[in-house]
Amino acid sequence: MRQPSAEEALATALSAEYAAIYAYGRIGVRLTGAARDAAHQAEAVHRRRRDALVVQLSTAGSTVPPDRAGYALPFPVTDRASALRLAVEVEERTAAHWRAALASTTGADRDQALAALVEYAVRATRWRKAARLTPPTVAFPGRPT
Amino acid sequence: MVLTCPVGIGRTTQRDQASGHSRRKLLRAGVLLALGGAAVPLTGCDLFDRDDEPAPPPDPLRPMVDESLGLAAAHRASAAAHPDLADRLNPIAEAHTAHATELARVIGVAVPSAPAAHPTIAPATDPAGALAALRALEKTGQRSATVACASAPAERAALLGSIVAARATHQEALK
Repeated sequence: MRQPSAEEALATALSAEYAAIYAYGRIGVRLTGAARDAAHQAEAVHRRRRDALVVQLSTAGSTVPPDRAGYALPFPVTDRASALRLAVEVEERTAAHWRAALASTTGADRDQALAALVEYAVRATRWRKAARLTPPTVAFPGRPT
Repeated sequence: MVLTCPVGIGRTTQRDQASGHSRRKLLRAGVLLALGGAAVPLTGCDLFDRDDEPAPPPDPLRPMVDESLGLAAAHRASAAAHPDLADRLNPIAEAHTAHATELARVIGVAVPSAPAAHPTIAPATDPAGALAALRALEKTGQRSATVACASAPAERAALLGSIVAARATHQEALK
């Protein structure tokens, strides 16, 4: 399979960020207290990365994929437990997209991809702890299973 | 290439002296030896003396195999010293072992049965101290894996990225 270019990899990561932001809108309303605050912080991080990617891709003259009105969630979010499970899923999936971008990038772009992978993997672990899932870690964060 | 010739004859000269070969041959060899010696110090020519190919440089990821095994051993030692922590530490130890296995596969070496270069440090006597020590080890490991990822070729970058991220999540799990 052909290695995607850095622009293609970053565009794919941007689409994942759109979906993550959408999902956190559904997650936040099912949570309370510290978990709700954590969801808002996580959403803000995804928004910052989205904004940075839009600027980066536009500046480079690359195609900026459009956001969509809605995204299919892997399962319905009906309560705290399903909201926490979806939060884990969202972080793992966005981490996977940034992990994939590592192979297509070098230098500062790779540093950026690695920082996102690490941050989302850590957040997935925090969500697993909040959901009391054990173990709270996976051996290869972001690796397709 | 120029250097290999005089040095090779230089060696022959020594053997000839031992077995008493003709003087003319020795003189000719001596002239060549002198020329070779003028071009470069003879000690430097020892590099060309070997028949076998020089060993390839060690794979830059080789130290990470040992590092992963060392981290696994540290978690296992702490789990043994603090059985209450075993459920938290054993999955992390298994992740490090899985990293070592995958790294070894990528660089084409067998997984060493025991970490070579990592001295075993006795776990702290209190659980909190043991966890803090493991967090510090994970943090150091995260840094070294980050350096490896930054300079890795494309086909290794994703694996190394996962190892960096895993070591970061371990610090979170050890809090």
